[in-house]
Amino acid sequence: MKGQANGFRQIEMRLRRTTRKRRQEAGIALLIAIFILLLIGVVAIALVVSSGTESALAGNYRSSTNVYYAAVAGLEEVRARLRSNNPNSFNNTAPGFLPPPATPLGDCAPVYVINSRGGEAITPWDLGSGYPDTQFGQEHGAACGGAIAPPSSSPATSSVWNRSPLNVLPFPGPLYKWVRLNGVSEKSLNLDVDADGQADSITPLYYNSAGNSYSNDSAVGPQALELTALAVLPNGSQKLMQYLVAPISVSLPPFLAALTIGGSSANSVAFSAPTSNANYSIKGGDQDSVNGCAPGLPVHAVGVFNAADQANVTAGGNGGTGIPAADRPNYTGSSGAPDVNVIATVPASLQSPAQLEALVQSIMQSADVVLPGPNLPPSVYSPSPDPMTIVVNGDLDLTGHQTGYGLLLVRGNLNYGPDASWDGIVMVVGKGTVTGSESESGSGEFDGAFLLAKTLDGSGHTLSPNFGRATMKNMGGNGIRYSSCWTQASQPLASVKILSFHEISQ
Amino acid sequence: MKLGRRHTRERGFTLIEMVAALGIFLLVTGAAFTLLTSSQQRYRTESEVLTSFQEARLGLDQMVRDINDAGFPPPSFANIDPTKVTSAPFGWSPGYTMIPQSPCQIVTGGGGPCFTPTDFDIIIETEPNPNDPACTPNCSVQWIRYQLQGTTLMRGMVPKQASHDPAVDSSAAGVLVPFVQNVVNNSPTLQIGQFQLEAAYPAVFPGGAPVPIFQYTCDTPSTPLNPAQPCPTLGAPDNSPTNIRDVSITLIVAAPLPDATTGQPRLVQLEGRGRRINPNQ
Repeated sequence: MKGQANGFRQIEMRLRRTTRKRRQEAGIALLIAIFILLLIGVVAIALVVSSGTESALAGNYRSSTNVYYAAVAGLEEVRARLRSNNPNSFNNTAPGFLPPPATPLGDCAPVYVINSRGGEAITPWDLGSGYPDTQFGQEHGAACGGAIAPPSSSPATSSVWNRSPLNVLPFPGPLYKWVRLNGVSEKSLNLDVDADGQADSITPLYYNSAGNSYSNDSAVGPQALELTALAVLPNGSQKLMQYLVAPISVSLPPFLAALTIGGSSANSVAFSAPTSNANYSIKGGDQDSVNGCAPGLPVHAVGVFNAADQANVTAGGNGGTGIPAADRPNYTGSSGAPDVNVIATVPASLQSPAQLEALVQSIMQSADVVLPGPNLPPSVYSPSPDPMTIVVNGDLDLTGHQTGYGLLLVRGNLNYGPDASWDGIVMVVGKGTVTGSESESGSGEFDGAFLLAKTLDGSGHTLSPNFGRATMKNMGGNGIRYSSCWTQASQPLASVKILSFHEISQ
Repeated sequence: MKLGRRHTRERGFTLIEMVAALGIFLLVTGAAFTLLTSSQQRYRTESEVLTSFQEARLGLDQMVRDINDAGFPPPSFANIDPTKVTSAPFGWSPGYTMIPQSPCQIVTGGGGPCFTPTDFDIIIETEPNPNDPACTPNCSVQWIRYQLQGTTLMRGMVPKQASHDPAVDSSAAGVLVPFVQNVVNNSPTLQIGQFQLEAAYPAVFPGGAPVPIFQYTCDTPSTPLNPAQPCPTLGAPDNSPTNIRDVSITLIVAAPLPDATTGQPRLVQLEGRGRRINPNQ
């Protein structure tokens, strides 16, 4: 029993000792835990810092790209609104914002398009405001009597993003703040354009598109306008970009026949008039008055560039059958029927494939719509005569019972259904082929002028120096009627050309 | 009993307890220091990669900016002195002439008739700061060149001069200065193989071939139906430096030292795109 009691006491003591020992070592466990936690913490912070730097670097690049495109968005908006046929053009949305057509926009009298977000006040002419235009003073100060700021307050209008319907969009528009529009002069551009060795003149500069040069003389062409956009992101990165633009009008050659066929005697035309449609005719007599325009003198029914084409159109050749003898009286115009004649003086822009291609390129640049084909969307057939410039960059099926208005430029083949009509100018320039659909009889007709020429080879290269062989076969309907008024109403509107672009270092 | 208790209290740790405690302590601190060393190595490597990355980003940003501005001011600005305006947005060599132009043709692989521009060499014609009062009235246009020499992308700027070759002028001593270091786009095949196999970057060098820094897209004025296309796929005269519209840039940079933990090279690939807005000359 005694031994047993001793044994219990020993066990009890050992237990107590163990407890005391554990109590003494508890601090060490805590220290080790803290130490390890600290270590892991340091590693974690290092990782966070390094990945943070990485995303900050990527973010820098992203915001520099963002702000670049925001500024370009501002420039492009103003460039688009300078076109009179844009629904948001300054003429439509802010009459009086720009000076009347004959008055130049002053070097020292800038106007602003303001793009404010969330109701922020943007007054660039106030140098103490949030987004001041300090660049105006740097660039135009010398030309404007030492001005350091634009006149206060300069005329301003709101951007399309501040106007209905875009102002209710659930997402924000581009982040540009303002776009300044002003004229330029030798002095502001720091360029000597009149070759007197000095950039001293402060008269507005005008752009001569024929010579690709500038002049102080308003007779050479439209005024060169300077657009300057400031874009600022919420994170503070900003960019200033500048365009120099001028409205360039496309001058179409005079149409000297109802149907003009551009060709070279080496590749004379293949022409087949309808054989079973006695109604088909091509008439050079000027008809239709449009918007108060009165018809004038008649022209040829068919105008060609050389005698070989003249013979082919009348009598056939190169796979064409020409005009059936019975139908020849239907081809009337300024000369006796059949009025198929060589044009005395071929307009400059029709003299070679390259010149005609240059004209086509300028039409494409100012087109209202460029379509791939082969069909026109219903919106093109406007219920009221509202001429548009439509370019089809491929083949086109002009079929159905509809009437289109304006300038239609077809780069590929024009497949014509005899019931479709077009009032205005039709140019089939490129592949230079017109085919008719199965039936020749129909109620469709062309009023205006029709130009056919093959300027491209099979792989799309411009032919040189001769035109290729144009083809027009079995085009039915009522035929082609010359109308100087429709031709005039269908002239393409000016496009606003970018003359130069650069980023202004700040 | 009392004696025994006091004796027990002063006994201290046994040897086994000491050895065990020391062992555990060494194990814990050893693990901790290993972790510390490896994270230190990782930190050093990562900060090197970051430095290269940052340098390349800045370089890329500058290149995109210069390309966007190429061709300013266009020849329409003044027709007296052709050195005050650009003749073309991008310079070329050999045979550089201002008027009339006789540009070379851009073909694949950086070879062909063009000595520049190539896959690793470009000369931009632009006026970086036209409103600088120091050069009034007409500031001179600059040739800005980017050229890969070995693994260093060089940048240099010289004023455009009549009857001079931009490649010759920009190669003069002291013009080109190091711009981005450790650019490995044009590494020897052996090293590319090393990148692909050892460093596990199979996608960076497709086909094990060098990756062009500059890839060009050209306008097609002689084939008007076509949109802009990669220059080497076009025929003359569309594939000339005067028709370059877009330049897409790919920079592959390596960290100066291999990864301290694995001993493998570390690569970063960056891409950007510059688009000339100025009109064709």
